[in-house]
Amino acid sequence: MMVQPRTGRQIGSSGIRLGRLRGWQIAIWFIGLLVVVAWSAPFVWMVSTSFKPPEDVMTLEIEWFPRRVIVDNYVKVFVNHSVWRWIANSVIVSASATAASVLLGAMAGYALARLTFPGRDFIFAMFLASLMIPIEMFVIPLLIAFIRVGLANTYLGLILPTVPHVFSVYIFRQFFLEMPQSLEDSAEMDGASRWTIFSRIALPLSRSPAIASTIILFNLNWNNFLWPLLISFEDRMKTLTVGIASFAPGVGSHTQLGSFGVSMAAVTILSIPSLLVFFFLQRYFIEGVAKTGIKE
Amino acid sequence: MVESLRTRMRAVRWKGKRVHWSAYAFLLPFLVPFLIIIVAAAVFGVYVAFTDWGIIAKPIWVGFQNFAEAMGDQYVAKAFRNTVHYGLVIVPGIAVLGLMFAMYVNQGWPLSGFSRAMFFAPNVVSATVIGLIWVWILDTQYGIINNYLGFFGIPSVPWITSTSWALYGVSMASIWWDLGLGFVLFLAGLQEIPRELYESAQIAGANGVQQAFRITIPLLRPTISMVVTLQFIATFRIFSQVLVMTDGGPASSSMSVIHYVYTEGIVIGRLGYASAVSFLLFLMILAVTVVQRFLIRERHS
Repeated sequence: MMVQPRTGRQIGSSGIRLGRLRGWQIAIWFIGLLVVVAWSAPFVWMVSTSFKPPEDVMTLEIEWFPRRVIVDNYVKVFVNHSVWRWIANSVIVSASATAASVLLGAMAGYALARLTFPGRDFIFAMFLASLMIPIEMFVIPLLIAFIRVGLANTYLGLILPTVPHVFSVYIFRQFFLEMPQSLEDSAEMDGASRWTIFSRIALPLSRSPAIASTIILFNLNWNNFLWPLLISFEDRMKTLTVGIASFAPGVGSHTQLGSFGVSMAAVTILSIPSLLVFFFLQRYFIEGVAKTGIKE
Repeated sequence: MVESLRTRMRAVRWKGKRVHWSAYAFLLPFLVPFLIIIVAAAVFGVYVAFTDWGIIAKPIWVGFQNFAEAMGDQYVAKAFRNTVHYGLVIVPGIAVLGLMFAMYVNQGWPLSGFSRAMFFAPNVVSATVIGLIWVWILDTQYGIINNYLGFFGIPSVPWITSTSWALYGVSMASIWWDLGLGFVLFLAGLQEIPRELYESAQIAGANGVQQAFRITIPLLRPTISMVVTLQFIATFRIFSQVLVMTDGGPASSSMSVIHYVYTEGIVIGRLGYASAVSFLLFLMILAVTVVQRFLIRERHS
């Protein structure tokens, strides 16, 4: 299940200049670049459509760049729906769930990596095994329980199930396993408590697992779909990801074709934060996946 | 008294080392929600599967009745067939394209950092984004896919609106969305292969294709097997893009198991029955995992 972490060279980093390639290599290089462009085309099409007036959306000629640029579609998204409320909900839910996961995960990861106690191996094995049971399997009982205790349509109800995500435990455990023992020893000699050692020595050193788990878990929480869909059935408690889905034009109803501009504006708004964070901090996303094999 | 308890606790050893009792305090804040949300929900879910549990009425224990009904339910059969069908389309799609893309990026040719980012990028956006973009791209009349196919003289394909194509339309969107995981794992695997192997193959006169089939793919077999298993498990859970793109239709042709669970449990309100169906899916995922573990062990011995 797991891939060993790597050190040194960044995964897939480049190093060869074009001049050193032979003829057939340049041909493959070029064809590959065309595939890359095609692969990114849906995003380009999304942004391009979002700036088109309705009559330019439905054309049989493909216009990759809009002839006439308008922002009406964005105005429609922000004016006609509870979008501001959904954005606030998404920020509140993703931020608190991520903060909780990262802090609790750091503590658990520290204990699993640095401390000896009966049950340690069993608990870690249980965490890993839980990755095999996707939450989709047990959403129904979870939903019954949450509705019974009155957590439907509440922030707590949205946040709680996403907190015990094993990803941060795993990342922090891996990091603390490699931390030199000598750092802790001297503090222990001075009679520092375990909490002091953790909060003053271990935690300040763990910038990189903290950043990695923060951005990856924040993105997972931001994109979370199934649970928010089930637990928040009132419009004002929806998250942006679920709320935006209501902008889908009715399938096959061609009278609604004009609304593709609005729906593309809505998904542009929804995806921009993730894409920006990804392009600036992509190393963390890619290493996070390569190290753990965990995506969701 | 307190002092003596403390000294006695200090004396306890585990695996030859002094036990850190504070470890439990570090673990508990994570462990408690974990046990409640994951472990307790799993156990409770099995119980719910054996009841007739409606939205309002009191649950009634019905034994194996839900499972018996599921076995004879033609929609369950259809949902499982569709889900396997999704797996057979999406998993090879991701494995083949992901490996090709990874081999391309791994050459380290100019712009490979950019290429890597673009291949992974769809992975970071949500199902809603994927669904809405692809409904538009796959639109029968004005979608760009049909437009470009038309350029080659291929007639318009009703990707989302016909029973014979909807599953493939959703699969295309899923491949685009999910490729990143396999791609990155392949890339990591490729970097483990020593460059010298390719250099000596080159001296021996092997061309690029021979190198791919004689060196890269055989050495990458563990990674390929891992990607295929992970992706099968992920694809068996396919739901949100189905809901957003087709809502399982037309005529259940793109309905997956989780989509059926959602319809039965949430839309119709038969929570016990839905729980039983999702338990069957869990058994299927478990079977895939066990088979894969077994195959790997076979190979090692």
